[in-house]
Amino acid sequence: MISQEFDFEAPSALPEALALLARHGDDATLLSGGMSLMPMTTLGLVQPGMIISLNHIAELDYVREDGNELRIGALTRHADVAADPLIGAHAALLAEAASLIGDVQVRNRGTIGGSIAHADPAANYLPAMLALGARLRLQSEAGERSVEAKDFVKGIMTTAIETGEMLTEIAIPKLAAGTGCSYQRLVRVEGNFAIVIAAAITEPGRKAARVGLGNVAPGPVLVDVSGHLGNGLDDAALAAIGDAAFDAAAEAASDLAGDANYRREMARVFARRAVQSATDAADAG
Amino acid sequence: MKHIGRAQTSLTNRQLAAGKGVFVSDIQRHDMTHMAVVRSPHASARIVSIDSAAAEAIPGVVKVVTGQEIKANMNPIFEAYDTEAMGAKGVVSYALCPERVRYVGEAVAAVVAEDKYTARKAADLVAVEYETTPIVSNTKAALEPGSPLVEPDWGDNILITRDFVKGDPDKAFADAEMTSSDEVYQHRYTGAALEPRAYMAEYDPYTEQLTYWASTQNPHPVRVFLAETLGIEESSIRVIQPHVGGGFGLKTPTFQEEPLVAYLARSLERPVKFVSERTEDLLVGGHAREMRLSYDVAFTKDGRITGFRAKVVADVGAPSALCGWGMSFVCAYSIPGCYKIENANVKLFSVVTNKCPWNAYRGYGKETASYLMDRVLDDVAAKTGRDRAEVRLKNFIPPDEFPYTQVSGANLDSGNYPGTLKRVLEMIDYEGFPARQEEARREGRYIGLGIGQELTPEGCSMPRSTLLGGYDGATVRVNPSGQVTVLTGITSPGNGNETAIAQIAADSLGVPFDQIKVIQGDTDICPYGLGNYSSRSVIMGGSAVQIAAKDIRDKMLKVAAKMLEVSADEVEVEEGQFSAKGAPARYVLFKDVASTVYRDCHGVAALEVEPGLESTRYFQHGNVYHQPETQGRFSAYPSWPNQSMAMIIEIDPETGHFDILKYCAVHDSGTVVNPLLAEANLHGGFLQGVGGAAHEHLVYDDDCQLLTTTFMDYTCPTAMEVPFFEVEHQETLSPFTPLGTKGVGESGVAGALSGLCSAIENALPHLDLRFTDLPLSPNAVWNAIHEAEEKRT
Repeated sequence: MISQEFDFEAPSALPEALALLARHGDDATLLSGGMSLMPMTTLGLVQPGMIISLNHIAELDYVREDGNELRIGALTRHADVAADPLIGAHAALLAEAASLIGDVQVRNRGTIGGSIAHADPAANYLPAMLALGARLRLQSEAGERSVEAKDFVKGIMTTAIETGEMLTEIAIPKLAAGTGCSYQRLVRVEGNFAIVIAAAITEPGRKAARVGLGNVAPGPVLVDVSGHLGNGLDDAALAAIGDAAFDAAAEAASDLAGDANYRREMARVFARRAVQSATDAADAG
Repeated sequence: MKHIGRAQTSLTNRQLAAGKGVFVSDIQRHDMTHMAVVRSPHASARIVSIDSAAAEAIPGVVKVVTGQEIKANMNPIFEAYDTEAMGAKGVVSYALCPERVRYVGEAVAAVVAEDKYTARKAADLVAVEYETTPIVSNTKAALEPGSPLVEPDWGDNILITRDFVKGDPDKAFADAEMTSSDEVYQHRYTGAALEPRAYMAEYDPYTEQLTYWASTQNPHPVRVFLAETLGIEESSIRVIQPHVGGGFGLKTPTFQEEPLVAYLARSLERPVKFVSERTEDLLVGGHAREMRLSYDVAFTKDGRITGFRAKVVADVGAPSALCGWGMSFVCAYSIPGCYKIENANVKLFSVVTNKCPWNAYRGYGKETASYLMDRVLDDVAAKTGRDRAEVRLKNFIPPDEFPYTQVSGANLDSGNYPGTLKRVLEMIDYEGFPARQEEARREGRYIGLGIGQELTPEGCSMPRSTLLGGYDGATVRVNPSGQVTVLTGITSPGNGNETAIAQIAADSLGVPFDQIKVIQGDTDICPYGLGNYSSRSVIMGGSAVQIAAKDIRDKMLKVAAKMLEVSADEVEVEEGQFSAKGAPARYVLFKDVASTVYRDCHGVAALEVEPGLESTRYFQHGNVYHQPETQGRFSAYPSWPNQSMAMIIEIDPETGHFDILKYCAVHDSGTVVNPLLAEANLHGGFLQGVGGAAHEHLVYDDDCQLLTTTFMDYTCPTAMEVPFFEVEHQETLSPFTPLGTKGVGESGVAGALSGLCSAIENALPHLDLRFTDLPLSPNAVWNAIHEAEEKRT
């Protein structure tokens, strides 16, 4: 139950929201789908002084093409990300990540911007963002900047977003034809956060491959496994990919879903499976 | 019988599916207030002082109440068991702790406010100063000499012990061809009803009546407990049970908040409502299961068990007025289950710690007994190199040896255990499985088959208990228009027993099903009864309905005979029509007979019968023995349904993750009144079994702080984890109920516990795995696989 009172604003335009954010600074918390903020407030883990709802800012809800990129508004709901034809055609990895979030109610309500900005180490999008090479647009009343997804997370639920800034858009380079991708996760029960996530991309002709790992460190981890593709994906290559993921998961933590060692071993298994499956997908055309 | 045995859909479906059920939290009263509870953050502490000034200063706060006020104005909470009669230690506890706290979440103060948000906010501002005291965090520490004591007056941390012996176990072990021993662990978990606990009370100072709405399973016992705890007359309390969103045993009384709400409503003369939050329910809503069971088994080279010793050590949490600790007793009482072992010894140690008290949870300890025995039988099979099913069949109590007295003195009414096992093996194609397994293996897949055998004693009746008794009451009333009202002392927690009751009433009276209306859960309207637990609703309540209906039917037969001008033994009744036997064209309508009784009592047909068509009768279940001195035994459970299940799983050895591919069960609860609802009940049981085996776990740290307080951490299985269940019924009738019924409500929860262990072991035979700890999380399974692989290389 949320028993603490807070101020509430629901601006209908982005400049208005940015102005509120500038005025209230760290005292303000942004609300989009509320799929993390509401439970955390209910449990008393956060006590916002002001909540600024972004839900009436229609201009933040979009998916569009811009040359070689897809641009996704921060307020786009997970269900829309999962079903969007442009995302399906040019960034299928992201659609899959979205389709596996929580349950139907969560996907109908939760937003891509909210999930990324919240930066839960176990959440679905960020490993895919890393593998896709996404850029995140941060706007404030004073201006705007762009941050690479790989530079975005600074620690557990800590990001590059500064006081007064808001994540407004995610830009994703379109995947070239012949790219393979695969999103793999281990869960204790469906609908819950993953124990480990591996999101893999293999570039056309297996010129390069990379895996975004989730929940094996305070933030998502990108592992470049291009160097192991030389002789095709034989057992030795897959083992090397697994080893690279295991090494990259050195900061894995223990929690009720799995201990640190298990997480690292699962990073090994799921990275290998994701690359294999991405390659198979590319081969299958 | 036209309706008994028919798959009738539940009478409550329409209302509940439309979202029009009425639960406690839906009930609004004029001038209503809301209660929030201040809970201990410590597992063991003395309360030094409580400062409520800041809370009281908040606008909208009506009252802050502490344990001192409660102790001065209320009696201790009335115990569900008569602990003295059980040979157990009791505890004096209050609706709010006056002096000390014994587990995290125990209630120390409460705030009543105009709205629930203000109540919660103010509760968070009540400043309680504690002086922490040493914690007893597990049974091992609790049993060490010099351990701190959860209850200082007790002298030790043991709530109850038992030592059941049959035959000569020592000699059996001395003579044994083979022996084995092991220890198995059943972790702590609980039921998670969709509707959390909720209570509401309203007091009318002019009539001096207290009306009390509760999400409870037992309205009449709640009334007794409230009267005793508040020190007021039972007749001044009316307990109403609206719809209940799941109980599973956990909504049996008495929790601290139950009398607290009543006290506050009375002292404030305003309605007070309390609806528990999910985190509160996981923290203090009653826990279950945590038991460590060690055993020695003696057996012949061909797998016949000749001797058995088991020791049950249960962590029942802090002692309380709740009936939960009884689960440890019933676990020991139910061992060795379905098996005929001439020489056996079962010891019980129920140990208290600074964790949440147990409350009844579906299975009530029988599931852990079944889990133990399945692990034992699998062990014997492995050691002798015999087939798992063969070893079970070799050791079952033979069907012709019932009633059979078990080690504890329990008297098993009837059963055909080989029947259910053989049938479930056919359903799952046990014979053909090795070939399928090999084929899967060639595809790089690992599949395994596990079997589980349940024995689930039902109809619990404990000496001198207000809650747990082997009887129940019903009123059957035929109205002047011929429609029927049935009032029962049993209640439905949402499982549809009112539908089965209506089926029994329809057949017993000889009226169409749609003429029956069932009313439950109101102490001012319904006859005294103990409500719902121990799968008793159909066996106790249904039997009471049948007896009462027979009174009415007999009377109406007499009247109908006069109307038909034949003798009463020449009349029969079915579907609303009395007719002369062999001459169906000669009939009178049921409603016309009813009308005659009510409107023409001095007429020819009804002159010789007592007016009125209403009977209240009680059914007392046979096969309960409470007087060892005269009856030669103590036996608390009259009804012994059983089940055999088999499942096929596929395991991913690289991750420890498994999927259930097939799940079959053959259940035997005697006569099945409603196969549809019986199966629905079993589905829920299976799911709670799978949840317990693999997913659900209440985890405490060493300071007895609960770490799993939301559904994110306390992971219940979802629709995605549910396999398709295939269920069949075998009907081995009980000789102790008029219809031959046995309980069904708790069945299904045990089979998966060992069944899943066994299936994973079977999927990876080369690793020689042996699971003795639950739950089988992916991490735990992977650890076991990894360790076995290391050992091999």
